[in-house]
Amino acid sequence: MIMHTPIMMTTLISLTLPIFATLTNPYKKRSYPDYVKTTVMYAFITSLPSTTLFILSNQETIIWSWHWMTTQTLDLTLSFKLDYFSMMFIPIALFITWSIMEFSLWYMNSDPNINQFFKYLLIFLTAMLTLVTANNLFQFFIGWEGVGIMSFLLISWWHARTDANTAAIQAILYNRIGDIGLILAMTWFLLHYNSWDLQQMLALNSNSNSLPLMGLLLAAAGKSAQFGLHPWLPSAMEGPTPVSALLHSSTMVIAGVFLLIRFHPLMETNTMIQNLTLCLGATTTLFTAICALTQNDIKKIVAFSTSSQLGLMMVTIGINQPYLAFLHICTHAFFKALLFMCSGSIIHNLNNEQDIRKMGGLFKTMPLTSTSMIIGNLALTGMPFLTGFYSKDLIIEATNTSYTNAWALFITLIATSLTSAYSTRTILLTLTGPPRFPALTYINENNPALLNPIKRLTMGSMITGFLITSNIPPTSPPLPMMPLYLKLSALCATALGFLTALDLTLMTNKLKMKNPSQVFKFSNMLGYFPTTIHRTIPYQSLLMSQDLALLLLDSTWLEKSMPKTISQAHITTSMTVTTQKGMIKLYSLSFLIPLTLALFLMM
Amino acid sequence: MTLTYMNIMLAFTISLLGMLTYRSHLVASLLCLEGMMMSLFIMATLIASNTHFPLVNIMSIILLVFAACETAVGLALLISISNTYGLDYVHNLNLLQC
Repeated sequence: MIMHTPIMMTTLISLTLPIFATLTNPYKKRSYPDYVKTTVMYAFITSLPSTTLFILSNQETIIWSWHWMTTQTLDLTLSFKLDYFSMMFIPIALFITWSIMEFSLWYMNSDPNINQFFKYLLIFLTAMLTLVTANNLFQFFIGWEGVGIMSFLLISWWHARTDANTAAIQAILYNRIGDIGLILAMTWFLLHYNSWDLQQMLALNSNSNSLPLMGLLLAAAGKSAQFGLHPWLPSAMEGPTPVSALLHSSTMVIAGVFLLIRFHPLMETNTMIQNLTLCLGATTTLFTAICALTQNDIKKIVAFSTSSQLGLMMVTIGINQPYLAFLHICTHAFFKALLFMCSGSIIHNLNNEQDIRKMGGLFKTMPLTSTSMIIGNLALTGMPFLTGFYSKDLIIEATNTSYTNAWALFITLIATSLTSAYSTRTILLTLTGPPRFPALTYINENNPALLNPIKRLTMGSMITGFLITSNIPPTSPPLPMMPLYLKLSALCATALGFLTALDLTLMTNKLKMKNPSQVFKFSNMLGYFPTTIHRTIPYQSLLMSQDLALLLLDSTWLEKSMPKTISQAHITTSMTVTTQKGMIKLYSLSFLIPLTLALFLMM
Repeated sequence: MTLTYMNIMLAFTISLLGMLTYRSHLVASLLCLEGMMMSLFIMATLIASNTHFPLVNIMSIILLVFAACETAVGLALLISISNTYGLDYVHNLNLLQC
C-alpha cells in the first residue's frame, strides 16, 4: 500500500506544532528559534520519502478530511490535493525554509524579538503550504490571504522606520487589487460551475469563458508583481533579508503563477488569455530587467531579478507550457534564495552597507560567500548544466519553436541577455576590485549558522536541476527538433550580455562619471512608474470624492441651476440683441426727425 | 394766426430745439424744458384773455402745477447725477450701454 499520504499529512501537521507551543508553554529549555528550525528540518526529511513514493507510483491523492459547512448548493471541506505540483513543491519549500531559518539564526541574532520572527516565518510557511495543497478555492483563498498578511507583518518588521511601513502598505494595496480578480473568478465559478472544487471546475472546460480567467490573470499579476502592479516588490526589500529570501523570491511571489498553473486545463483552450499572459509576462521581464541595470542597492537588484524571472514564468504559461513554468519555479527558488542569503551575508559583514558602489574586494575576505554568489548568478543566467539551465534553456527553446507572438518572444531574449548583464555588473562591483568600504570593518563569515545553509543551497543550485529533470514523471510531450542556431540562442544571448557588461565595466572603470543620460534616468527611476502613479491616482480619487460630496450639491442646486443661469442668460441675450449704446444726445436729436417730417408732409 | 400767437409758438419751437440739441451740460436741457413750459403757459393765458373765455384759465393753472412737479423731478435727477459724477456732463451718462 502506498503510504505517502499519511507521511505527507504528518509533515504538514508537524509544522503547526511550534505555533501551538507558543500558546501553551513557551520557550522551555532550548531556544525557540532552534526548535522551529529543527522542526522544519524534520518536516523536510519526512516529506522526502513521500515525494519519492509519489514519483515512483505517479498516483495523485486527494484527502477530504473535515467537513466544514454546507450551504444549499455548496459543500466546503478541508481538502488537500497531493498531486504532482504540490508534492514536488513541498520538499523544495521546506528545504529552502530550513536553510533560511538557519541563516536567520545568524542574521537576526541580536534582535530581541527573534522568537516572534521565527513564529511569523512559520505561520507564513503554513499558509504557503495551505495554498499549495488546496483542493478548493476557499482553502486556496485562505492561504492566499495568509501569505499576504504575513508578508505585511514581516516587511514592516522594523516598524519604527517609515519606509518599511510604507512598503508594507504598498504591498497590501497592490495585492488587494489582485484579490479583486481572484474574488471575481471565485464568484463566477460559484455561479456557473456551482463548486469551488478543482476537480469539478477543471472538468467542465467545454467552452471556456474569458471572464474568470481574466480574474485569475489579474490575481496573478497582483501577487506575482507583473507590470502595472509591480512596484511593491522592490519596495518590499525594506524587510529583513531572510524575509526577502523566503517570501519575495521563492515562495510568496510564485503564488500567482501557481494559481495559473493550477488552472491550466481551462487556459489551454482560451488563446486570448494565453496571448494576454504572454504579452504581460514579456513586458514585465523586459521592463524589470531594464530597471535592474542601474540600481545601486544590492537587494533591489535581486528583487528586480526575481520580478524578471516571474515575467519569464508568465511567458511560459502564455505559450501553454505549465509544467515548464512549474519546473522554473522549483529551480528558481534555489538560486534566488542563495543570492539573497549571500547578499545578507555581505550586508551584515560590511556593517549594514547595501550600496554596491561601496563594496568591493570581497574575494579574499569572504571566499565562500563570493563563490556562492558567483555560482548563484551563473545558475540564474542559465549556465549550461547548472540548475537554471534545465528550466530556463527549455523555456527559451519552447518559445523559439512555438507559434505565437514574435515580438513577445524577441523581448524575452533581450531580457535574457540583460539578465546576464546585470548579474555581471553585480559580481564585478561587489566582489572584485579594490575595497570601497571603510578600512576598519570587521568581516568574519566563519559562523556555521551562516555557512551551512549557503553551502546547502549552493549544492542545490548545482545539482537539483539535473536531479529533478531526471526523476520527474513525463508531463508534456518533449520539444521537437530545432536548428542549431535556435538551440544556441539562449546561450548566445547570455554570452552577449555577459561580454558587453564585462567590457563596458572594465573599460569605463577609471573614467570620470558624466551626467546621467535620459535612458539612465528612466532605468534608475524604475521607468517613472512609482513617481507618477503613486501620487496621481489617490489625489484624483480624493479630489473627485471631495467635489462630489461637498461641492457639487451646493454649487449646482443652490447657485448655478436657477439664479445664476437666469441672470447669465439674460445678460448674454440682451448683449447680443440690443442696439443701445447710451448715446443720449443722438437719441434726443432724433426727436427732431419726425417733427421735420411732419412739417414737410403737411406742406 | 395773429402775430402774438406766432411769436409764442416761435419761442416754444426755439426752446424745443434747444432741449433736443444740447452739447455737454444736462442743465441746459432742463432749462429749455422750463422755457417750453413757460411759453405754453403764456399762450394759454393769452388765449383765455383774447377769446374772452375765463373758464379756460384753469388750463394754465394746472399746466403750471404740473410744470413745477416736473421741474422738481428734473432737479432731483440732476442732483443725483451730480452726486455720483461730480458734474452733469452728458458723456458720463453711459449706464444704458450694454
